[in-house]
Amino acid sequence: MPDLPLSGVRVCDLTWIIAGPTATRVLADFGAEVIRVEHAQAADAVRFGRPIVGDRPTMNNSGFWNYINRNKKSILLNARHPMGGDLLRRLIAESDVVVENFSSGIMASWGLDYLQLREIREDIIYCSVSGFGHSGRDKAFTTWGPTAQALCGLTFTSGLPGYPPAGWGFSYMDHTAGYSAAVAIMAALHHRNQTGEGQHIDISQIEAGIVLNGPAVLDATVNGRSWRREGMPPGNRAWEPRVAPHNTYPCAGDDRWIAMDVTNEAEWAALVMAMDQPPWAADARFATNAGRLANEDELDERIAAWTSEFTDYEAMELLQAAGVRAGVCQKASDKFERDPQLAARDWWHEVEHGELGPVTYDGVLPRLSATPGSVRTAGPLIGQDTHAVLRDVLGMSDEEIAETEAMGVLM
Amino acid sequence: MSGPLAGLTVLEVCDELGQFAGKLLADLGAEVTKIEPPDGSSARRVGPFVKDIPGPNRSLNFWYNNTNKRSAVLDLEGSEADREAFRALASTADVVLEDRAPGALASLGLSPESLRAANPGLVVCSITPFGQTGPWAGWKSSDMVGLALGGPMMMNGYDPEDAPGAPPIRGHGDQGYNTTGQFAVQGILAALFHRHTTGEGQLIDCSMHEALSCTTEVGMPYWLYARQDVIRQTGRHAAAQRTEPWLFQSKDGRHLILYGVGRDNDSWRRLKPWWQSHGFGLQFDEPRFDAPIARQPGRGSPEAAEIMAEMGRFIAATGADEVYRGGQERDQAWGIVRAPDETLQDPHFHDRGHFVGVTGEGVEEPALMPGAPYIFSATPWELRRPAPRLGEHTEEVRAEAVRAAKS
Repeated sequence: MPDLPLSGVRVCDLTWIIAGPTATRVLADFGAEVIRVEHAQAADAVRFGRPIVGDRPTMNNSGFWNYINRNKKSILLNARHPMGGDLLRRLIAESDVVVENFSSGIMASWGLDYLQLREIREDIIYCSVSGFGHSGRDKAFTTWGPTAQALCGLTFTSGLPGYPPAGWGFSYMDHTAGYSAAVAIMAALHHRNQTGEGQHIDISQIEAGIVLNGPAVLDATVNGRSWRREGMPPGNRAWEPRVAPHNTYPCAGDDRWIAMDVTNEAEWAALVMAMDQPPWAADARFATNAGRLANEDELDERIAAWTSEFTDYEAMELLQAAGVRAGVCQKASDKFERDPQLAARDWWHEVEHGELGPVTYDGVLPRLSATPGSVRTAGPLIGQDTHAVLRDVLGMSDEEIAETEAMGVLM
Repeated sequence: MSGPLAGLTVLEVCDELGQFAGKLLADLGAEVTKIEPPDGSSARRVGPFVKDIPGPNRSLNFWYNNTNKRSAVLDLEGSEADREAFRALASTADVVLEDRAPGALASLGLSPESLRAANPGLVVCSITPFGQTGPWAGWKSSDMVGLALGGPMMMNGYDPEDAPGAPPIRGHGDQGYNTTGQFAVQGILAALFHRHTTGEGQLIDCSMHEALSCTTEVGMPYWLYARQDVIRQTGRHAAAQRTEPWLFQSKDGRHLILYGVGRDNDSWRRLKPWWQSHGFGLQFDEPRFDAPIARQPGRGSPEAAEIMAEMGRFIAATGADEVYRGGQERDQAWGIVRAPDETLQDPHFHDRGHFVGVTGEGVEEPALMPGAPYIFSATPWELRRPAPRLGEHTEEVRAEAVRAAKS
């Protein structure tokens, strides 16, 4: 097995729910030793999160938890027990990175704000991910992914004009806050490699979302134009550049769709060829982008009538063969069962899970030629690595571990 | 110089697909030099434009996605001398970031492998719609097509009663490109970490399709563990079965997202008197509302339905801001659905210095735009320079190429 690029980096992972564990999933995929510190009396709610395998939650059979916690270790530690707090500090002293996504103020209440963490380990990289960040007048306010998406502008931009917002049907901002945190942590590791200096990284989930719509903000501050206006958001039609056709079109079957956009005249000509040169497409009104925009409703109806004759994959093959940007609106089942691109690139990986047997994961990207990330282990059973970490990382003897366990610290 | 990547040199050959990755690196402090053709990156032709007047230096989309970069014009397609200058620059760079179609750079004699042969420590990251290999590697894509094939789009949309026959909906803002950029930079930073210990660079193959395929939260695990596809719903998570609404409209006509209402006794004790002080939910003192189980939505109890209905009436009679702040002050993670520009009106983010002023062609008074998604304590973010004018740094970059060729 090739080297992993982050091998040698140890992460004390105090995260839970989704955003924090997503950040540490990235680090673990690239080979960091990520140790999730858990407490069974206040277990990560996602350990009970659907989909659950079997009839009742066991804390180890959530498909979702396993999905975002692969390649990690899990230890049980009651940090509120004095001896548990001491063990946590010893683990931090042996770690390069501490990550958490509690509400602002929780770490300080444990005596573990950044200055206190630095006393434990001078060059620690401490990353906090919270809804509003650790400063500002509303820092005590909290978010879930959907709240952050609403407050940062993402929910609003997803929808049909004249309808309520469709929003994002999943916590996109839990992904993206996690991705931003992973980027920031690795950048801080780079800085530490150059200078020896650690630091605190304060990530607000909402700010991590605001930065995803910069051009819309500039359109308001420069041109005085808000997205809250008639005809906006534009659904699946184009905002900028304004081109047509640019939409989703129905295909044969129930709720099957293809997304397609034409960005220049050559692609329009290619689309006309792909549709077998229907007479309507020769109409002068459709000869230019301006004309197509002026007659967008009719244009979209005509194209929809054509796509409806085909299955979504047939339409995609025809259009792509002609040089038109087009893609099926794929479901999870499509990606797993039908997508030849993911299959050809060996995207799916099976590993053994301690309670569920073989489980399947998607792969690691991007793909590094010399030291690729990898899927090595499934999500850990709660506390499965407690003894090994205390022994191998903290250097405790079997007797010490047994004594600590008897005191009710390792639960 | 500031930022955790200060001192790192990056050559960027990117348009719409890869420019956000370059922005992330530049904003983290790297010296990112954007190599553009004589007529400029196609991203300069993406609006909106300053005062709606197109021009290579007037695209606000370009302004935002190219902060802290330099721009040098090199005619890689048309000039061997310029290709030689590019090779010289790559021979001393740390990273080359490119988003050309697979094989495009190689056809110009600038293959990632040849650049690496001349500079073994070089990290070359190639961002493409589908990756360097596979049956779709040569296909064309766009942000929307990426979001369709990767799966995020099929999870966004409407309940049938809200918008009959509605298609899956694409969230705007080029989120496919943004997500891909995050992954590209993760790979680059991982490769740099490896280089720190070994001196060895490498090639990176970053596929938008893969980035989006693993950015669908519960969507994929529902198939992998339960063989179920989730169904899309208005303004809330796609799910295996229909769930209760999260979206409510306030007296001033704004949408709010609220959920998890009254599930636990703590929040119930906070919310009930608030609503009652406004004259809503007076019946909530009846003992039938006391057990958390009776208040669980999704269990079909009449109490849960009554709570949702009363809360809806309370919100319809109350301003959005009062609902949002009142909820948050009672530990409810609720939010207002804001347009992107409405975030400017929230003083909290100004307290944190999130927005930053920028000037450029046609904009003399600084206009605000979002800053960085992080606050570093030791290596703070700054807007060192706005997005470059086309070719603004060509002369100095050509001089660097001459020096690099001599070294």
